[in-house]
Amino acid sequence: MKLVSIMAKVDKDKCIGCKTCEKLCPVLAIQIEDKKAIIDEDACRGCANCADRCPVYAITMVKREEPFTVKVDVKQFPKEAIDEICRKAHVNPEQVLCYCVGTRAEEVAAALLSGAKTPEEVSSMTGMRTGCTIECIQPMLRMVEAAGNKLQPIEGGHQWYGKTITAWELSDEVKDKYKSKGFFFDEDKELLDQIVNLKLEEGQNEK
Amino acid sequence: MKNNLLKSPIMPISAKESQYGVDPSHIKKRVAEMPDMVSVSLKDLFPDLPDVIYPGAEDSLEMLYETAKEEIRKIDMGKIKSGDSVNVLASHHGFTLYGGEPYAILLRAIRDIVEEKTGTKNIRLRAGVGMRFRETEEYIRRYKLDEYYNGKAKGMAPIDPGIPIETEIGTLYGLKAAYDADWIIHAHHTDVREVHFHRQIDKAVKPFGMSYARIETRSTYHQNLGPRAANFIARAIFESNFVQEKFAFAAFLDVGPHGVIGVDADADLYALNDRATFIGCQLYGKVMHLFGKIDECIAVLDFPCPVPYVFSAGVIYANFAGANVDLYDMEKPLPPYTWYTEAFYKKNGKPMLDSIPPLNPSIKMCVHNYAWTGYPSAFFSEMIPTVVVGAEQAELFDMEPMNMTYMNHATIAKSTDAAMEFAYNVTGTDKVIIFDGAMGGLNCSKSLAEFLIEVAPIVSKEVEEDLLPKWLKQRGVDISVLEDIQK
Ligand code: SF4
Ligand code: SF4
Repeated sequence: MKLVSIMAKVDKDKCIGCKTCEKLCPVLAIQIEDKKAIIDEDACRGCANCADRCPVYAITMVKREEPFTVKVDVKQFPKEAIDEICRKAHVNPEQVLCYCVGTRAEEVAAALLSGAKTPEEVSSMTGMRTGCTIECIQPMLRMVEAAGNKLQPIEGGHQWYGKTITAWELSDEVKDKYKSKGFFFDEDKELLDQIVNLKLEEGQNEK
Repeated sequence: MKNNLLKSPIMPISAKESQYGVDPSHIKKRVAEMPDMVSVSLKDLFPDLPDVIYPGAEDSLEMLYETAKEEIRKIDMGKIKSGDSVNVLASHHGFTLYGGEPYAILLRAIRDIVEEKTGTKNIRLRAGVGMRFRETEEYIRRYKLDEYYNGKAKGMAPIDPGIPIETEIGTLYGLKAAYDADWIIHAHHTDVREVHFHRQIDKAVKPFGMSYARIETRSTYHQNLGPRAANFIARAIFESNFVQEKFAFAAFLDVGPHGVIGVDADADLYALNDRATFIGCQLYGKVMHLFGKIDECIAVLDFPCPVPYVFSAGVIYANFAGANVDLYDMEKPLPPYTWYTEAFYKKNGKPMLDSIPPLNPSIKMCVHNYAWTGYPSAFFSEMIPTVVVGAEQAELFDMEPMNMTYMNHATIAKSTDAAMEFAYNVTGTDKVIIFDGAMGGLNCSKSLAEFLIEVAPIVSKEVEEDLLPKWLKQRGVDISVLEDIQK
């Protein structure tokens, strides 16, 4: 869930049509037409990536006159279906995946069950990955794939490139080679598994 | 009580113009200026801290430049040919240390000596960031590094175009701008900063998995391997053939909690890392352990950087918020604050596991007099009663994508005086610690200063005799390195 209270605005006089913003918008809200950036205001989720990378400072973030909330209701799906996607992605349904927005895994699973097939669609529906846009990309990709979707980066874009290694895939060879250097590979995997497998009582964890 | 150790407060650096903070004109008062505030010198608390070059005499920054050149000159640069391109890789945090100028001096010295020794003029500065994509662009302007690097200086953000790097653990991604040269020079420092994340494991290597890396890599670090395995990501990238073929050497600003000690340059990054581990564990470890002894206090944020990064005696607020646990002890899997910990809080605000420690219960209230946005900080205001000074700061947080909910839990006071009065009345403590980056010492209330002076000798003994040997053993670092450093 995210309260979308700000949005990006382009100063067309400054814009040089370089496409930088288009290539990094996590919800694909920007298109270049006649060498000028056009932002779909309804689609923008207010991450400020475009404003912060525009080489000529043509974009500013402004307050929305009518803020709105994006949210997927987790309760519309059976708990088992939500759990299945989360556990497959090695996360607990209640685990926070996006530290900026506070999106929990269960809402991402619900977005995927509602028909989202890409990270961009999940971001648009839940607001996940519209804060820093950095730290939650891996669990996002794990979740999208766990729901049975093929990961396909945006052609020519830099939104994301691909999934990387997890604790569950590290080879024994690498672990043995480096564990004396202070890396606690197996112990950390055990901790993560403990979280993943923790059964939380329904209804008891709401505020 | 050694009252002669209580000194007048050290005035912190002024508020800075930045897109991440309010206009400096809104910062009307610093908490260090308030009655009953004093400072304590770190050398007085821990007399065995090494001497520093800066802060020091009037010409100390010139001395630092000369020291840096001398150390860098010792590096064999035979493989860099005249006409080769060289990227000097820097990171944002260096510019927040001791006013920022010392790190800028290191970057200037590297450029000058590489040109002097190799003849190449194609030397570029590439400065990476954390989550504030424009931060190093601001520093490059502030320290005129663009001019110094003849127009070849630029900031890099983790969402900028990347390149795949094949490593021992599969494909990871670096920033294209970091590696678009024949050679790279790793320009960093020994400040510990985020001990909750890196746990002083391979700290000197960390930027390869962070400020020089793309989002995919950084997310791997923070989400995929676990709190004590994560740093391996940086090592995997650094050891890749791709990086090894480009790596020329590393040059570090050696800093401690009390000032700039010197410059350390080495073509062997792991040798440098061992020395940095000693500084991190021994020097910063003492302050961290000392802060862990504080039983109750009001924590004041008063420095131009994001909430978790404001610092006192080299310890950042995020680490003080975890000082109830020994962050250097690798047997402790989850610090009270780290992103893995934050992720493991349930919807009812309680941790998922009983073993997850709470944020430092000795912080009775946080007075946010001056701190920036640019880092997701809502967890702090949610867990620690927080009062923010001025509606302008509150408004700035409300407008920032990473902090949309920071003010959901914090309250606003109209002035610094009102905020402090509120904090004193509500908490009942007169102990105040100020995270304002004071150089050479720390600013705090008289009552807290007296407490710190009393316990510092005990802390020093505990670290030297019990904790340091344990910390180093857990990191596979040989204590003989310490003797080498002392020589
Ligand atoms: S979602 Fe982010 S990158 Fe996309 S238009 Fe909005 S602010 Fe810009
Ligand atoms: S990044 Fe800036 S200049 Fe480039 S297309 Fe977007 S708005 Fe225009």
